[in-house]
Amino acid sequence: MKKSLLAAALLAATVPATAALNVVATTSSMGVLVKSVAGDSVKLTILAPPDRDAHMLQARPSMMVALRNADLLVSVGAELEIGWLPAALGGANNGRVLPGTPGYFEAAAQIELIESGRAADRSQGDVHPMGNPHVYMDPPRMADIAEALAGRLASLDAANAAKYQAGAAAFRKAVESRLPGWKQKASGAKGVLLFHKDVNYLTTLLDVPVLGYVEPLPGIPPTAAHLKELTDRLKGQKGAVLYTSYQPGQGPDFLSRSLGWPKVRLPLEPAVGASAEEYLKHIDQWVDGVASGK
Amino acid sequence: MKSPLLIVGAAVALAFALAFPVAAQGVPVDRKALEEKVRALEAKQEETTKTLETLKASVGTPAPAAAHAELQRQLEAIEKQQAETRAALEAIRKEMSQRPPGPIEAKGLSTKSFPLFGSSGQVTSGTAFNPSISVIPDIVYYRDNVKGEAGEIVEEADGFHGAHAEEEHGHEHGGMSQGFNLRETEIAFSASVDAYFDVFALFAASEEGLEAEEVYFQTRRLPGGFQIKGGKFLSGIGYANAQHPHQWDFVDQNLAYELLLGGHGLNEKGLQVNWIPKLPFYLRAGVELLQGENEKMSNYIGAEEFSGRTEADEPRELSYQSGPRLFTGFLKVGPNLGYASALQLGVSYASSNTHQEVHDHDGDGNPEGVLDGTGELWGVDLVYKYDSPREYGAGDFVFQTEYLSRKRDLDIVGTPDTAVFKQDGAYFQAVYGVLPRLQLGARYDLAGLTNERVRAGVKTEYETSKRWTGALTFNPTEFSRIRAQYNRGEVFVGGEKETYDQFFLQVQLSIGAHGAHKF
Repeated sequence: MKKSLLAAALLAATVPATAALNVVATTSSMGVLVKSVAGDSVKLTILAPPDRDAHMLQARPSMMVALRNADLLVSVGAELEIGWLPAALGGANNGRVLPGTPGYFEAAAQIELIESGRAADRSQGDVHPMGNPHVYMDPPRMADIAEALAGRLASLDAANAAKYQAGAAAFRKAVESRLPGWKQKASGAKGVLLFHKDVNYLTTLLDVPVLGYVEPLPGIPPTAAHLKELTDRLKGQKGAVLYTSYQPGQGPDFLSRSLGWPKVRLPLEPAVGASAEEYLKHIDQWVDGVASGK
Repeated sequence: MKSPLLIVGAAVALAFALAFPVAAQGVPVDRKALEEKVRALEAKQEETTKTLETLKASVGTPAPAAAHAELQRQLEAIEKQQAETRAALEAIRKEMSQRPPGPIEAKGLSTKSFPLFGSSGQVTSGTAFNPSISVIPDIVYYRDNVKGEAGEIVEEADGFHGAHAEEEHGHEHGGMSQGFNLRETEIAFSASVDAYFDVFALFAASEEGLEAEEVYFQTRRLPGGFQIKGGKFLSGIGYANAQHPHQWDFVDQNLAYELLLGGHGLNEKGLQVNWIPKLPFYLRAGVELLQGENEKMSNYIGAEEFSGRTEADEPRELSYQSGPRLFTGFLKVGPNLGYASALQLGVSYASSNTHQEVHDHDGDGNPEGVLDGTGELWGVDLVYKYDSPREYGAGDFVFQTEYLSRKRDLDIVGTPDTAVFKQDGAYFQAVYGVLPRLQLGARYDLAGLTNERVRAGVKTEYETSKRWTGALTFNPTEFSRIRAQYNRGEVFVGGEKETYDQFFLQVQLSIGAHGAHKF
């Protein structure tokens, strides 16, 4: 038993360097990017499932294993994964994927973030002063990120450079072909109530106002007083209540009932292993949700 | 009369020179033009929207078919126009967003600031290189039913009481006064030194002063899955050992650690090498070379002489041993259990080539016992965590257990006899998220399942001490924590069972940028 374990360890250590790149994506949306750009020519591992809040995870040994073996880490960034990714990286003993090295790719660092430059003051909740990290809710930005990712993958694996560029271009084309439809669908939507500041990229893209948040402050569960304040303020207006599968339903239920608005609960990120098409379908659902408040 | 004029002229020129860059730094012309264009387009769009609304309303009212068709046509035309306006706006906004937000230099116009005497400024990153700093105050209101002596009772537990500290630590994690307590405030700094090293420093500040609890460097990019850590740190043995008080699920340290290693666990100066081989599951192996200053298993006093108690009155001398004196090894394994669950199993071993004790209970400087020998410890640990998909920690579950066994093999200096102590301890604890932000915790810990002394061939056995704990923790956010805890202890002191009850109300707060916690 001991011998075979040792043999396995030695075998694993001598795997030739020409093997497919090991890419670790922190969330399933980042997985979509990797899959769209690189297809099956890389080995993909996703650290966080879509039914968990990526703010609130804890570092697990399995994350350290994945990062230990990674050639490239693709994270959302802007401190979304700050509660666990630094610890998982710290325990992975792999200097090749630390921030600042070619093996580290942060989506938020490739594009311009919205809501940046706000005060770093936690009395305002669990704030992100660097900007809103939920960039995966913005398909055009995702297309920009995909292009940057193609460049990075090409720098690590020049042989497949053309393939990566083509993957990113196809992703952009797919996004662009859907964009007018989304805008049309959402035009005239009066606004949305979100649970958390996690769908703001999409509402900005669709030009639909965010009328309020079910959470009184980021990271604080809804209170009765806050829900009443929202109801009083929005009574008589039109809109929709949107929230994710891991956010509690009581607050949205109450608001939907008292305002007479539709409520839409969806996973914030697509399923693990989703393709570009599945990601865009997932965005379709969110667009329908945003558009339902007419 | 010419010179005053010249001076005035120069002053005016200077004033212009000074004022000019400021004026030029105002909003540049083309940006202003763009902004005006946006405003105009926006106004236009608003207007068309209004027309559109009226038109839409009249489309709804009954009218002759021809008129209706005409209206419909108008409506479509306006809608098309509006779409065009929107596109134009979008294009301008995009253009504006791509320009640097600051002032734009007009071509051919130098707007360099005052060049006459050269800038005395400095290009500096200011304080941007500051490390992440966090401060974690820990405030406890405490009551017990033994006049505040519960901590002392635990320290006097049969079989464990011999190796207590000689006022080594100014602060204690265990002993508290009845009423309000300011426990040590953790002040932590961390940053990358350069491409090769990270540094972490944690100071425990109490009312008496500051103590360097952890100050170590860690390598960033050793190949092959290796990492080296050096300085003063919490040893990698066991599971609870590497946790700071703010990471504990209860107010106090578990009984096994408290009595076998002390409130801080194994917290030593030295060097650690750990390795994660490339495997499909988690395995970390580590070895440590440590100074050996742990009062419970690696106590070092040094080559000191004590006046004799023998008839010949020969002095009793402890041996000299240079550091490092303590060596440890640990192995942790974690199978891959998917996204919801995580499991880690560990085995640890620590061996000290020196452990010295001086027992001078009457304090006359003529100790009753001078002991010199070795210390040894081994342990196993298991942690299981379940991450529930429910919100704010509801449904999350953690089970944690460890067993530690310690042996001290000592010569009774000045006699041909030896004293061998064998003791162990264990704890079992579980924490469950009963409601969002609210956790219920239970712990059962014991010390001295094996609890024996063999002195000069004579074996003495002591009783096992036990403790039961219940805690309710409310986490308003991930940065604050309010905890109520109840302990019931059954500790044997001098063969007598002493029971006590303890109540803690704890507030723990974290400000600043605190690093993520390890598994």
